[in-house]
Amino acid sequence: MSNDHKADNDIHELLKSDANKGFSLIVGRYSTRLYWHIRRLVILHEDADDALQNTFMNAWRNIGNFRKESSIYTWLYTIATNEALIIINKRSKYSGTSLDDLAGYFANSKEGSMWFDGDEAQEIFQNAILQLPEKQRIVFNLKYFDEMTYEDMSKVLKTSVGALKASYHYAVKKIENIIMNS
Amino acid sequence: MMKKFDKIQEKNPFKVPENYFDEVSRKIISATSGYIPEIKKESVYRRLKSYLAVAASIAGFVLISYITVKLFVPDKKINNLSDIDLIEVSDSWINDIDILTLEENAASLILFEQMPEVDKTDIIEYLLLENIDINDIYEQL
Repeated sequence: MSNDHKADNDIHELLKSDANKGFSLIVGRYSTRLYWHIRRLVILHEDADDALQNTFMNAWRNIGNFRKESSIYTWLYTIATNEALIIINKRSKYSGTSLDDLAGYFANSKEGSMWFDGDEAQEIFQNAILQLPEKQRIVFNLKYFDEMTYEDMSKVLKTSVGALKASYHYAVKKIENIIMNS
Repeated sequence: MMKKFDKIQEKNPFKVPENYFDEVSRKIISATSGYIPEIKKESVYRRLKSYLAVAASIAGFVLISYITVKLFVPDKKINNLSDIDLIEVSDSWINDIDILTLEENAASLILFEQMPEVDKTDIIEYLLLENIDINDIYEQL
């Protein structure tokens, strides 16, 4: 059992006796890390802010159905990933701005640079990640940035551990190639 | 190569507004305080569903057996069973059965008889839950 699961045991107990207090603890423990998970997927701060608030509202509405045998950690990551994907789909459907365009937006616009403070190497690295297919990008981010175990990731993405390992391997190879060729 | 990645990622390149995390946490907590979402309890039907399924399959099996016997065994043959001479039977094989075995079997029969009878309306109610047509139910009863 990872530390995240152990730490959530106290929340399980608190949720039973005082749901509001238990949920406050969840928000305190997870808001920052979920924000960064979402932000790395949606890129723009405003989108990440919307998706984060939607994630917690969704979690709160469904807190009654949450079962003790499930893990709060993987449950929240599942909701957050879904909310991020909803925002990404909305963006490409209604505004016609895909994530590929966003890479240019960061590099070239004044507004974009307001929220991006990286050097050239970081810009190349972020652009390389943005070029990955959606699922591979999520797997890469969860493994590389969130250091999530494949077992937990398997619960979040409802995919087998073997498929996730392969996905991560291909993602790393692709990023290496993009960086080498840039 | 991963080491090279690590060097790139030493600093988070994305920025957030000042005090964002405090503010967003406050906003979420205030939006969720004051009401508690309904905690759904498992319904009686849901809890008993597996038992009801077993009961229904047994009932179905009994019904099919009954219909099969009625359809394929001629009435004459069934009626003839009562004509068999009791003495004839007892003379043939029943004498060989251990009396203790008979007692054991009888005990289980008594237990079976003590089971409460299921009310007809309960059966109808259950079958309606299973979306079985009311006309079919009455036909079978």
